[in-house]
Order: sequence, then structure tokens, then C-alpha cells
Amino acid sequence: MLISLNWIKDFVDLPAENIHDIANTFTMKTAEVEEVKKVNAHLDIIKIAEITEIEKHPEADKLNLVSFNLGDSSARVVCGAPNVKVGLKVPYAAIGTTLPGGFTLEPKKIRGVLSEGMLCSETELGLGDGSSGLMELSADAPLGVSLKEYLKIHTDTLIDVDNKSLTHRPDLWGYYGIAREFSAIYDKPLKDKFSKSWQGNIEAKFSNDISPINLKVKENSSCLGFWGISIDNVKVEDSPQWIKDRLEAVGLRAINNIVDISNYVMLELGLPLHIYDRASISGKDVTVHLASDEEKFTTLDEIERSLLSTDTVICDKDKALVLAGVMGGANSGVSENTKNVFIEVANWKAEEVRKTSTRLGLRTDSSTRFEKSLDLNLCYRSLLRTIELILELCPDAKIIGKPIYDGIKINPERQVINTSKNYINSLLGLELSGEEIIKIFESLDFKVQGDEEFQVSVPTYRSTKDIQGAHDLAEEIGRIVGYDTIPIKSPKLAVNPVRLSPYKEMERKVQDFMSLHAKSLEVMNYPLIGKKLLEKASWNDLNEDLELVNALSVEQDRMRPSLVPGLLEMASINAKNFSDFSFFEWGRIYKDFKKEQNILGLCLYSKSNSRFIELLNTTEKFLNYLGLNFQIVTKEDSRKKSDLVNSDWKGLHPHEYMDIVVRGKTLGCAFSVHPIVLRDFKIKGKLSILQLNLTQFCEQTLQKIHKYQTISKFPYSTFDCTVLVPKNVAAGETLKISKKLKNKDLKSMKIVKVFSLNDTENAVTLRFSFGNSEKTLDSELLKNYENQCLEELSKAGFNLKS
Amino acid sequence: MLNKIQSLWTDFESELQPLNKQADVLNLKAKYIGKKGLISDVMKGLRDASVEEKKAIGPKSNEVKKNIELAIQSKLKNLQILEMNEKLEKERIDFSVRDSVLDQGLVSGGIHPVHQIQRTIEDIFLSMGFEVLDGPHIENEHYNFEALNIPKTHPARDMQDTFWFKDKLHLLRTHTSTIQIRGMEEREPPFAFVGPGKVFRCERTDATHESCFHQLEGMMVGENINTGHLIYFMKTLLKEIFQKDMEVRLRPGYFPFVEPGFELDIRWKKPDPKDEDAKHSGWLELLPCGMVHPNVLKAGGVDPDKYSGFAFGLGLDRLVMVNYKIDDIRYLHKGDLRFNSQFSHF
Repeated sequence: MLISLNWIKDFVDLPAENIHDIANTFTMKTAEVEEVKKVNAHLDIIKIAEITEIEKHPEADKLNLVSFNLGDSSARVVCGAPNVKVGLKVPYAAIGTTLPGGFTLEPKKIRGVLSEGMLCSETELGLGDGSSGLMELSADAPLGVSLKEYLKIHTDTLIDVDNKSLTHRPDLWGYYGIAREFSAIYDKPLKDKFSKSWQGNIEAKFSNDISPINLKVKENSSCLGFWGISIDNVKVEDSPQWIKDRLEAVGLRAINNIVDISNYVMLELGLPLHIYDRASISGKDVTVHLASDEEKFTTLDEIERSLLSTDTVICDKDKALVLAGVMGGANSGVSENTKNVFIEVANWKAEEVRKTSTRLGLRTDSSTRFEKSLDLNLCYRSLLRTIELILELCPDAKIIGKPIYDGIKINPERQVINTSKNYINSLLGLELSGEEIIKIFESLDFKVQGDEEFQVSVPTYRSTKDIQGAHDLAEEIGRIVGYDTIPIKSPKLAVNPVRLSPYKEMERKVQDFMSLHAKSLEVMNYPLIGKKLLEKASWNDLNEDLELVNALSVEQDRMRPSLVPGLLEMASINAKNFSDFSFFEWGRIYKDFKKEQNILGLCLYSKSNSRFIELLNTTEKFLNYLGLNFQIVTKEDSRKKSDLVNSDWKGLHPHEYMDIVVRGKTLGCAFSVHPIVLRDFKIKGKLSILQLNLTQFCEQTLQKIHKYQTISKFPYSTFDCTVLVPKNVAAGETLKISKKLKNKDLKSMKIVKVFSLNDTENAVTLRFSFGNSEKTLDSELLKNYENQCLEELSKAGFNLKS
Repeated sequence: MLNKIQSLWTDFESELQPLNKQADVLNLKAKYIGKKGLISDVMKGLRDASVEEKKAIGPKSNEVKKNIELAIQSKLKNLQILEMNEKLEKERIDFSVRDSVLDQGLVSGGIHPVHQIQRTIEDIFLSMGFEVLDGPHIENEHYNFEALNIPKTHPARDMQDTFWFKDKLHLLRTHTSTIQIRGMEEREPPFAFVGPGKVFRCERTDATHESCFHQLEGMMVGENINTGHLIYFMKTLLKEIFQKDMEVRLRPGYFPFVEPGFELDIRWKKPDPKDEDAKHSGWLELLPCGMVHPNVLKAGGVDPDKYSGFAFGLGLDRLVMVNYKIDDIRYLHKGDLRFNSQFSHF
């Protein structure tokens, strides 16, 4: 909201500070000033000059060197205007002047000749869209005088306050309220413009005539209260310059005196009002009631709106005249032919006005204010101020009767809140005296009883929403004292150990292991996903239960049921740039409203070779790192397939797939992506993905347990043998015999080497390691063990290579 | 005889010098100090020597023997080294070819920049006794609005445009303040925690706006917690993040869940001292914060007459953007590794 400081000065004297200091103080104590604007400030510096000499620019045909006289001095500029002539009086902007476009004149050579500023056109001065030529002033314009003084142009300084920072302050939507803030901030008296005697003077002009309008407010409407008065014989014409200047300075267009008065009073007192041409009201009755569904109403902006039965309208006997609290109708406004008017100063339920204006996308100066919860008590003052201005601008106008009112009973009682010096000080961390606190309250129009225990009565215009309890009162004290005066202190609290939660602990383990050991980069996908990507990934679960009603786009209209489609998309982006890469995501998937699952996804890509083995190795090491017992089992051996990827998903590689079983539960799987799906993502190469559900370990911290055993004093013996394994059997199958051996002295059985013998067979060299912590195993026993091994291998179909 | 022994030593030295095989050295050793070696030969003539000569020859021959022995040992060691070096020469590897010069695609590991800054801040608070919590992304109206003193009719529900699910009961949390309520419910004062996480707003995205971004919520509740304490923790946080004292200012700000509510700004750019009008510029709005509203304490099961507290929120994406001068916020969720690899650990 733009605030005119000239206007504010009607009500309070501002200190003679730099305007930026004033704006900063307001920011620090009340609401954020986004910008300081000066209206026509440049016209104060721009002087009237008379052209004395014109020479051709030596380097440029179209430019002239123009010399001129400023009365007590003279100067020369380079000028290209067509209408230069000796004796012409024109406006001159010296170096350092900032013109309305935000452009500041600097000393500058134009084609080698120094130009000492600029002679200006109307456009350049922001005084209209005149021709491109210099602004021609009349021959009697006094030399050296400022344009502001000569043209009697209004200047002002505006501060632009962020509307959002006024959301909770209905009282600050009018300049009078802002002035009260300044009065409290600078400890300067607020001028009592709207005193009892002022009120009495206006009321003295009421007559005993009968009101030509009857007012009826229906109870179920959004109306809280409605004041009306009729005035006859107004003369609609242009407003006087001072009203025009004030309105235009803050960006409102002047229309005619009556409409301008309604805007003027709204800006000044913060309460929007409406003035009707009484000729447009049919009959005597003005009624406020709910609209009917589908009712059509054309607002002032000449757009037909469709209303609902929850919207409130102000009607005469035939038609709606005004959409309550939002905008007047095209049919009832004041025009140049208007003679008699009816003034409405009403108040509306904030949430109803907000609902209507939001639904219609019609945010007006009026709805913006009413939706802040204005004070019903302020209506009467606005009504009087409107009457005052109409009588001032139309001396022949006549008030018909007295103001009429309908609506809820007006309650001028102030709400009283109990608080204390101690409470306020202890919440703010200050040590203010009772007197200091009381002084601030009173400067903000609160009334206080008590010295240290206070009963604070709140102005009605503050208690509609903003001030509800003692904490709100503390804020008033804090901000006016200044938050920068609060001593900064550490609290005195018991010192207790804090640990990371299991969830955080897991997050960090994932991030550390995956980045440092698995050499992969962490990525983040959006938790929101669209049908298109799911379908592109041939993902069957479209997660329709978790669709949004107000998605921004179809690309993000539901929660993701899996990390996989997003990972594929990212792999697709990166496969364009890198021959190999690996990345991981630690993210959530959403299957229902109950539980969000924490999933680790790891992607390994290579243009040439499958990295599936690397993926399995990383997975095994990661699970070891977490301290979990696990098995990684093939599709064939898996009793329960991972639910993170549907087993009939088209994207699964026919062979490269393994389930990950932890503590008897299948928690995930590792797989390579089928080329058919890779092709849909335009990925050329091999992509392997790990999916691991770690949700259950995010609730309880995993303890990695290390068990120590005395190091055996007796040496271990190893035994190697090479067996034949058909090519269609995994070499790892040989290791399954170790369990069958049931030999406590067998410490390990590993593969040493696999090599291809011919088209059908591999030779696999195995190494058995035997040992006993009590004794050295003698050669006879070892021989025995070796035979057992060979026998078991042979039983499993693996014969010794001869 | 003494001369003879002495000349044996000189002969030995000149014979040893050119040898380059261990076997030849051992042979030379036998030739001079073996049982039938040259020294022994000379010593056979000792019988014919005078008493005085005998006194001198004994020690002399021992000395020469000892020197020969030492020279042999040293020569052998040198030859062994030469031999090993020869072998090493054959095993020579080309260590100019390291990962850093090999084209292996992208081999790089690292945590996402938002998570890096998140962890830094978590650790700062952890060190000051704050727990680190999180909560669900899918919330209901109670946790996202009502419990935070944002009733249905409140304009704040317009201010934060909310993603709603089809059932009209669930929504995506619009702020991490939901963690405040869940955190309070599970604790008895005094307590302190922070809650980082993803939040969602139904807001058009562009280079500086995202519909999904990251906040870090913080809260401390106890007896007599006041605004001075809030500023203390905020200043400490900023000092730790930026590793220097930051100039901050606290000004009124309106948020339904705090009262009094503040905006905490940090001085980001030094204003031009020559420009009087710029004296108040260069502030960056960073931390909305305030004293927890009594209604919010009540909603979390905390008695507002006995306890008070402060709360704050911090935009993590904003911090990352400012810190690295990132030009487009959408890179954070894009997964383009040309972006992510710039923040890698190695």
C-alpha cells in the first residue's frame, strides 16, 4: 500500500529526518516498507532557461550546441530537439537530476562535446505525452525558477508498505491509522481531527426531514451494520486540484468530486464506502440480502458476474445495486448528471467478503480492506467525514434527515485484557518499568489501569482480530521499544545429551556410504509425479488414490508410488552427457495416507558394460555397514519378491535380478533395467538399480555388533581343488555344499578363480580353509575333510577336473 | 711383514672395487680372509718375526681382516640393492595414468547441496542440545493449520497455497511447522528441536520459485524462554553458518503461529557509505521467527501459563542459492549430474 506522507502530516508531525530513516523506522516497528518513492521531486530542481545561442554540432548534423541563460548563470548542452530557437523558454535539468524514468544525468560528452545536462520535453519530465520536442514555456516564465514553483505542481513522498505485513492490522489500511503509528513511534501527538466537537458540527447540519430511503439488513447476509444518508442537490464536477493531487500521487485516478470523495475517505480512514445516484434506486427500499444462485450481476467494470446464494448484494425493489464489500454495479454509480445521492458506509463479515472476491477473482481496494476484519464502530466517523467533504465541495448540497442504520447492535465497549509488567518483560527479555509500558500503551490509544498488574482496554479497531491476549499486548510494547534493544542472552537450561534420531542416523549412513564408498552423487526427485512419466516407465501402479485436486500441472499431479520412474528420467538426462555415472536418492514413496516409506535408490550406468555385479557388491557392503544380517537371493530362490518393483514389470531384466532379504523379510531388490524400457527413455547402455526399503530401521537405531574371538594359536590349513561346472550353472552354486558339509572346522569356502574350458564347461577353483582353536589338525584328519568335500561336490554334480 | 699386510689391503680394495656379482665378492672374501687365504699365508711367516714385530703384526692383521669383512658386507648390500632395483626397473608402472586423467565417465561422490547445508545446520543445533526431528509430508488440516492457530477463515490459508488430495482431508504440508506440533506432543518441557524437510506450495515455478522446497523449523520451550534467547540462538546459528559475526535485525512480522512474530534479516551487502539513501539497504530476509503463540503451545499439549518458547523457520534452498550464487532453483530437483557433481566430495 502506498502511503502519502503529505497526507500523514495532516494528523501528525513527522520528524525532520531523512525519508529513508523514517521508512526504516517504520519497517523496524510496524510493517515493512518496500520502497520510498518521490512524486515529482525532480521538478523542484528543474529550472526555467532561455535559449540564447544555437550552433551546429561540429561532428553531427542533427545535433545543436544550445546555450541558454538561467538568470544568474548560463550553460550549454548538446540538443537534438527540432523546436530549438533563440528566445524560447524551456525546462533545464542540470547534471545530477534524476528524471522520472529513474535515469540520472551524468557529465557526458556527446560526439566529443561536453553537455552540461539536458533541456527537457514534457515526456521526459513525466508531465504528459507531448511531442518529442522541448517543452515550450510561456514568454513571461521567470528565469531560474523551479518548474514546481512555476507550474504549482504537487510534490509528495510515498512509502510503499508490503501489504502482506499489514494482513493482521485492519487499522493500518487508512492513513489515519498509519499516522497513529507514527505518533507512537516518534512520541508526537496525534492531531485530534475527529473530535467530539467536529462530530457535533456536522451533526448540527442534519435535518428533521424523513429519509427518502428505507434500509433493511437481512440477518443471514454478510452485513454487520449499515449506515446510510441521503444528500440532495450535489453538483458533480471535477474535484479541486488538492484532492486530485492526493489521489493521483498514490495511483488512483480522479473521476469526479463525488467518486473522488469516496476514495479519499477510504484512503484516509481505511473504511471503503459507496455513493449511489439516488435516481438509479427504484422505490424507497434498500435491502441487504443473500443473492440467489446463478444470479447475474454486472459490476462497475462492466463484467457480468455469476453469483451464488452465499454472496451478499445490496438491492432496491427490482435489482441488485452493489456486490457487498467488493464492488458497485454498473447501474448505480454517480455520473455527471447525478443530483441526489445516497451514501452507504457499511461493514461486512471478513470471511464472506474474502470468499466472494476470491471466487470471482475480483480483488478490489474495498474487498482487500473488508477481509481484514474492520471495526463497525468506525463506520459512523467515515460517514461524517464523507458528509463533511461533500458539503465542502458542494456548498449547495442539502442533507436529508439524519443517518439511518440497520444491522447488529453497535458495541462501543472496549475489550479488557489482563497482563502485567512481569509477563511482558519476561516474554520479551526486557526490564521496562511500569510507567514506560503504560506510556507506550497510551500512545497507541490503549487505556491502562494499574501500575504493574495491568487491565488494558483495547481500542475496538484493534480487537476485531489482532489483539486477543496478553501476548499480543507484549508485541505492541516490544515493537515500539524496538526489538534491537533486547539484550541477547543464552537461556539457563539443564544440559542433556542429544543423539540423532534413528531416521537421521540412517539418512546420514546412506548419504555417507553412497557418496564415499559407492562413489555416487545424491540427487532429489520431486515427490510429485504425473501419469505420463509412470506410463513411459510402463509402471502399472498409477497411484490414483493419491492424486491432488489442485495440481499445478499434469506432470506433478500425484504422489510417486516408486522412486524408479524418476530415477529412469534422471538417468536419461545424464546418459546424454556421461559414458558412466552413478547416483542415489534417499527419498519417500507414498502408497496411502498412513505411512510414508523411506527408500534408497541407487543407479549405476555404463554405456558399455553391465554394472550389476558392482551393484550387488555395493549392496552387500552397505548392508554389512549397517550391521544387518541379510541374504541376496536369485529370483528362483526367492520366497517372496520385493514389493518395491512389481515382478511382472516390463522393465526387469530377464536375468539380472536379485531380492534382498533382511531378517526374513524381503526389503528390496537389485536389478538391471530391460532394454525395452531403456529404449523408451532413449537410454543407450546398461543401467542397474537398487531399491531398498529402510523404513523399519528409521524407527529404531541399528547397532552394529562386533564380536571378538581369541585369535587361534593353531594354524589353518587350506585345500584347493578345481571342479567342472556347466556354463549354464552359476559358479556360486558350488558354494552351497559348504552348508551340507556340516563341518565345524571348515572356516571358509571361497572361489579362487573361474575360467572357461570349452563351450559348455567352466573350471572353478575352490579353496577350503580348515582350522580349530584347540589343536592343530593332523594330516589324516585333513585328508578326511578333503575327501568329504570332494564327495559332496560330486554329489552336487561338480566333478573334479582331471 | 707389516708392509705385506698393508699391501694386501690395497690389493683387496682395488680387486673389490670392479666386482658386480655377489658370488665374485664371496670368492674374493675367501681369497683374502678364508682359512687358506692370503692373510693366513702371510701370517705363516710370523714365526720368523721378531718379538717387537710380532707385537705390531697381530693387531694389524686383525684390523685388516675386520676392514675386509666390513667392506665385503657393505659391497654385498650395495649389490643386493642394485639387483633389487634392476628388478624394480622391470616392474616399473606408469603412474601418470591415474583416475583423474582417465576417461571413466563420471566418477564422483557427494551429498546434495541442500542436504549438505541441512547437515551443517543440524549439527550446529545438535551441538547446542537440540534434537533433530521430521514428520510426514502428507498431513491433515489439524497439523498444518488448526493446531498452528490458522483457523479456516484465516487469510493465511490464502497466503500459503496448499496442495489438497482428492479426499479433501489430506494435504501436502506447506511448512515444516507441522513438526512443531508433533514434536511438542511427544515431549515434556523443557525441550528443543529442529525439524528440516521438504514442504510444498501450490505456486507456479520459475527460476526463483519452486513448488517443492526445503525448510528447517526450530523450537525451544521451557520456563521463561524469551525473545533475547531467540536472538541469541539465531545469531549463533548465523555465525556458525557463515563463520563470522553477522549483522542482524529483528523487525515485526506476522505469522499466525507466533506472537510476537518477527522477520530476522541479515546484512548481506555492505551499503555504499557515500550514498545516504542506501544506509538501510542490503538486508536479506532470512528467518521468520517469534515467540510461540499460546494457542500453538496448547495444541501441542504445553501449558502456556507455565511455559513459553520460541520458534523459527529457515529456507534451506534460499541459503544454498545465495551461498553458491545459483541462478535457477529448479536445478535442485533436476538430477542433472553436471549440477550435482559441482558439490561433490571428491
